[in-house]
Amino acid sequence: MASAEIRQIRRRIKSVESTIKITRAMELIATARIGKAQQRVAQAKPYTEKMNDVIRNIGAATGSIKHPLLEQREIKTVGVLVVTSDRGLAGGYNSSVIRLAEQAVAAHHAAGKEVRLYTVGAKALAYFRYRKHQIRHQWLAVTDTPTYADARGIANIILDEYASGRVDAVESYTTEYISALTQTAIEWPVLPITPPEAVEGAAAAATGYEFEPSAEEILDRLLPRYLEGSVFGMLLEASASEHAARRRAMKAATENAEELTRLLTREANQARQAEITTEISEIVGGAEALSNG
Amino acid sequence: MARSFQVDIVTPEAVVWSGEAELVTARTTEGDIGVLADHQPTMAALATGAVKVVHANGVTIAGIHGGFLQIYRNQVTLLTDRAELTEGSVEDARRAAAELRDTEET
Repeated sequence: MASAEIRQIRRRIKSVESTIKITRAMELIATARIGKAQQRVAQAKPYTEKMNDVIRNIGAATGSIKHPLLEQREIKTVGVLVVTSDRGLAGGYNSSVIRLAEQAVAAHHAAGKEVRLYTVGAKALAYFRYRKHQIRHQWLAVTDTPTYADARGIANIILDEYASGRVDAVESYTTEYISALTQTAIEWPVLPITPPEAVEGAAAAATGYEFEPSAEEILDRLLPRYLEGSVFGMLLEASASEHAARRRAMKAATENAEELTRLLTREANQARQAEITTEISEIVGGAEALSNG
Repeated sequence: MARSFQVDIVTPEAVVWSGEAELVTARTTEGDIGVLADHQPTMAALATGAVKVVHANGVTIAGIHGGFLQIYRNQVTLLTDRAELTEGSVEDARRAAAELRDTEET
């Protein structure tokens, strides 16, 4: 009957309305977190910039920098680090990084290279494990609010893998935060370290540096720190991107659900109207039959 | 008044202190170092310990753990993993720095 239909539609409206409440709440939470994450990206910048500065100066002062972490080796095994989030509902955030990483892994295999896979976040872990890839190291509960200790843990493992010769290069697949509206999945070469490009005139200015202890020893301590700092920056950007992607996805979901309630309300009204019309015509028909008789 | 120079204490998470100072002392892996204006360009590895910054408004002391000190054209930059400003004496800062180191190693 018609009234059963109305009840059904009303029930659907209610369920869609409770979905709106959830998606809107998630949108608001993500909005609050983007601000915080962006701020952390900005606060980490001075450290990275000063670090680049120091490395440039060492390079300029010693002529050329030589260090195992800077040397290009013949690549037999590639380490691939995939940075995703732990939770979904973030639109295409995870899938675009994973797609990029998977293509790279396939390309390495095609070129006859071995791949060692490391994952950050539950999404990459689940995806690659399901496809029977062996995952050498995994990190969870990092990307929501990455700490420097997280970055150090990741950097240390990667350094160890590289130093022991298990991998000859490491590349990372992560998301670059360009703006609140744009985040792009990118490949970022981690090891060997690409030293920051020398600035014009730095060579002349940096002569006469005094090193305590030697330049080599400072470089030895500096490069792992530099890697940690870069990994930290990468995690912070990925985190900001995740929140931005989630905000956008939840905003779209809320808007879709609102549109759906509008359609359903119209449908319910139509059904109600149809029911009333039927009732009236029944009454009129009945009265007509009585007066004729 | 002594001539002043720019000092920045920077960690990966934030700029801990930034401003003009007249004297900076810090502990490097080779020993203590004191920096006045027009110091020779220097690059040093920092040890765990206290950093004392003397500036126009008083003295700022921070416990730091590891990192680097760069002196270049009256710009002193301390890049450190962890830093914590303390209210108390140099000894307090050293203790704070030792705590920073201990929390890291556990």
